[in-house]
Amino acid sequence: MSAAASQARRRALVCLVGAALPWRARAQALQAPAGTVVLSIGGRIQRANQGERAALDMPMLEALAQRSFTTKTPWFKEPRKFTGPLLRDVLNLVGAQGAMLRIAALNDYRIDVPVDDTRRFDVVLARMIDDKAITVREKGPLFMIYPFDSDATLRNPLYYSRSVWQLKSIDVL
Amino acid sequence: MATEVDRRVVASARSPLSGWFIASGVVLIVSLLAAFFVQARQQALLQQAVQGQDDYLVLNLFQFETEYLRLRERWRQAAADPTTAREQLQLRYDIFISRIGLLQTERAQRVLSDSPEYGSAQRAIRDFVDRSDLYLGQSAQAPFSSASLKALLADLEALDAPVHQMLLAGAHRVALQVASRSDTIAQHNRVGLALTVFLSAMVGLFGYLALRRMRQLDDSRRALEAMANHLNDAREQALRASQAKSEFLTNMSHAIRTPFHGMLGMLALLRESRLDARQQELLRTAVDSADHLLGLLNDIVDLSKLEAGTLTLDERDVELEPLLREVERMMRASADAKALQLSLTIDPALPLRARVDGARLRQVLTNLVANAIRFTHHGSVKLAARVVPAAAGSGPRLQLVVSDTGVGMSAETAARLFERSHLPVRGGARDPMQQGSGLGLEVAHRLVRLMQGDITVESTLGQGSVFRVALPLQTGGEPAAAVAAPVAPPVPEPTRARHVLVAEDNAVNRLFLAALLDRMGHSAHFVENGLEALQAVQEHHFDIVLMDVHMPVMDGIAATEAIRQLNFSAPLPIVALTADAYADTRTRCLAAGMDDVLVKPLGLPELEGLFQRRFGAASPPGEAARAAQTIGAGVALLDPKVLARLIELMPRAEAARLYESLLTQAGDATERMRRALRDADTDELRRVSHGLKGAALNLGLHALADAAGRLSASASSTSASQLALALQRFDETLVATRALCATEPELLTTPGAA
Repeated sequence: MSAAASQARRRALVCLVGAALPWRARAQALQAPAGTVVLSIGGRIQRANQGERAALDMPMLEALAQRSFTTKTPWFKEPRKFTGPLLRDVLNLVGAQGAMLRIAALNDYRIDVPVDDTRRFDVVLARMIDDKAITVREKGPLFMIYPFDSDATLRNPLYYSRSVWQLKSIDVL
Repeated sequence: MATEVDRRVVASARSPLSGWFIASGVVLIVSLLAAFFVQARQQALLQQAVQGQDDYLVLNLFQFETEYLRLRERWRQAAADPTTAREQLQLRYDIFISRIGLLQTERAQRVLSDSPEYGSAQRAIRDFVDRSDLYLGQSAQAPFSSASLKALLADLEALDAPVHQMLLAGAHRVALQVASRSDTIAQHNRVGLALTVFLSAMVGLFGYLALRRMRQLDDSRRALEAMANHLNDAREQALRASQAKSEFLTNMSHAIRTPFHGMLGMLALLRESRLDARQQELLRTAVDSADHLLGLLNDIVDLSKLEAGTLTLDERDVELEPLLREVERMMRASADAKALQLSLTIDPALPLRARVDGARLRQVLTNLVANAIRFTHHGSVKLAARVVPAAAGSGPRLQLVVSDTGVGMSAETAARLFERSHLPVRGGARDPMQQGSGLGLEVAHRLVRLMQGDITVESTLGQGSVFRVALPLQTGGEPAAAVAAPVAPPVPEPTRARHVLVAEDNAVNRLFLAALLDRMGHSAHFVENGLEALQAVQEHHFDIVLMDVHMPVMDGIAATEAIRQLNFSAPLPIVALTADAYADTRTRCLAAGMDDVLVKPLGLPELEGLFQRRFGAASPPGEAARAAQTIGAGVALLDPKVLARLIELMPRAEAARLYESLLTQAGDATERMRRALRDADTDELRRVSHGLKGAALNLGLHALADAAGRLSASASSTSASQLALALQRFDETLVATRALCATEPELLTTPGAA
């Protein structure tokens, strides 16, 4: 990816976020989590509720528009149904402004994912598999999943490696 | 050069190169397919590796061991210090368990299922989980005591060795698989490389062959081009050579004709001198040969003009019948000589006049009739003229048919008759004089074509030939006297002696003209070129100037223009003498201010005709007149009173037959008298002419009777030359009489003459 292209993309994102925020984000400050925090978002975000970071619990994620799809994955023998908010909605919620997401899992697995992925693909932050909440044993509680079955370009090790399970935190770079 | 090129072209067409070309093409396609197959295999292997996530298996094993070690650490802390948060241990435990599933994927099973380390490790892990779940499972059944914590820690620590062994086994297995896949890929790569090398070689070979083929094609194309250029050059060279030869031929013919005319003139004079029988015979042969040669020369000049396209037709309104009768008259002597019947049939519907080049039409017909006579040994030659009415696509046509009962010719000969290269060999004739040059027919053919007409021939070997000339018939317009004039020759008048200036560069011609003018009783002054003529007319008075057109120093045209600039008060007729009878020469002469044009060869009649035209009957009588020239002066050709009397006595048809038979008899008589004159047989001459005189008088043909009477009277007393002249007068009077009879309304019941 050329520098010019990534810059253009960044500018586009800024416009998009800037247009959405003024009446929604600034007016309503991010509420504090009521239950167990399942996701912590930091870095270049505009709204936080725990110091510099935004701490989200399950109900907050559940309150966003939910999306479901069924896809085959390398981690399960059968196709599974994944349900949860779109990752880009979650990023909008906290007013993320970066181009790169550093994503970490419970076992300290870490990977950098371009924000662009969330616009090009309907990346879902799944909180349910087959309509059931996901336990840690089953790679929960949050499973970042790409719609592998709907796009052949996704079915390669690059996107498999970006599909982070037991997702713990996101840092916007 | 040409054959070499041919060989090369043929060789390249048969070359095995094209075979090699095809073979290498096939091999190239096969190798390309093989390369495609190898690459497809490589693609499949790669796909397999990606989907199998081989590399991730090892990573998973490592991560599993890491999680195991983290769990063990956490567990040891919990066992050592029971106050630490249980949630941390629970999370580690859950993560550890989530990792176990990844060791049981299809791929992991396939790689590790037969490994004893894998089996025992899986069993040990399962046992441990089963026991731990009692306390840490999703539905924990017992509180997690410090004692059980410690007991399970021992179990957990017992997993150390199996987990590590499993990791090593998995890593080794995967490494082996990767190595074997690498081997396969390397092998495929080698095959691919070999194929690429082979393909490159084949492409090189293919390219080389293609290049060679292209070069060969290029070579043969260049060779063909060179050959085409060569042929083109050769053609142009041949054309130039042919043109040069034509020009040479034309020039030579012209050059030969000039002295030749002089020679003919001398021969004519010689004929009129006293010769014995032997000399007469020799002279006759010489004249015949000369006539033949002159005909050839004229044909050659005509042909070259026709070929060069410089011959122009001088089309005027010409009276057809006199023209046809003149042809008949001209050919009668040669027909009579071979005892052939020569007849002329004229369609009553034939118009009086038609717009044609009379001289050229006469030339065509004379050629055809002469040709017919030449190839006919007995029987008849017929000339017929008729009108073919207008049909779709064409106007009315004048058809002239010359048919004979001669030797005929085969179809092939007839088909190629009008071609230059073809010398007709007919009826086994071998004598070139008799056989003819064939030029006459070609001239006739080309002339007819020039007249927008066509000429066809039909012939059967041994039974004769029929030549048909068809010309577009154009009638109307002004009558032209020029061509009709010779048919009714002017009756010569006694002439006054004139002072004549003759400009002629050729000495023989001067001599000839001197003899003629002397005979006519005129005095002549000779100069050798136009400039001298110009000086002479300023020094002396002349009644008339005879001016040769082609002369050195100053030609006739320039001299005439100069003389006309002098503006003499009295008219001075200038008459051109030229060897070419073509319209353009005539036009040029008249434009330069000449009054008349005479065409060589000149004879006495032509000169006399000229003086008659110029000075006419206005000449005062009593001047030096000559007995031989005074035939039929003022005498009627046909006495209408006698004719009327005759028609009272007998039916008109019978009267016509009577006239016809007399005219035929007179024609025969002319020939007989010619022979008698040649043989110096004055008795025969007198006998024949006397008999004819009586017959002619009976029929009221006074002029003819007069001419015959003069011959009869002077047969034994005058010189041979004067007799020849008298005979010539007789002949001309006969022609005029015949023409008159043919048009005489009282005698028209039987159209045509004998």
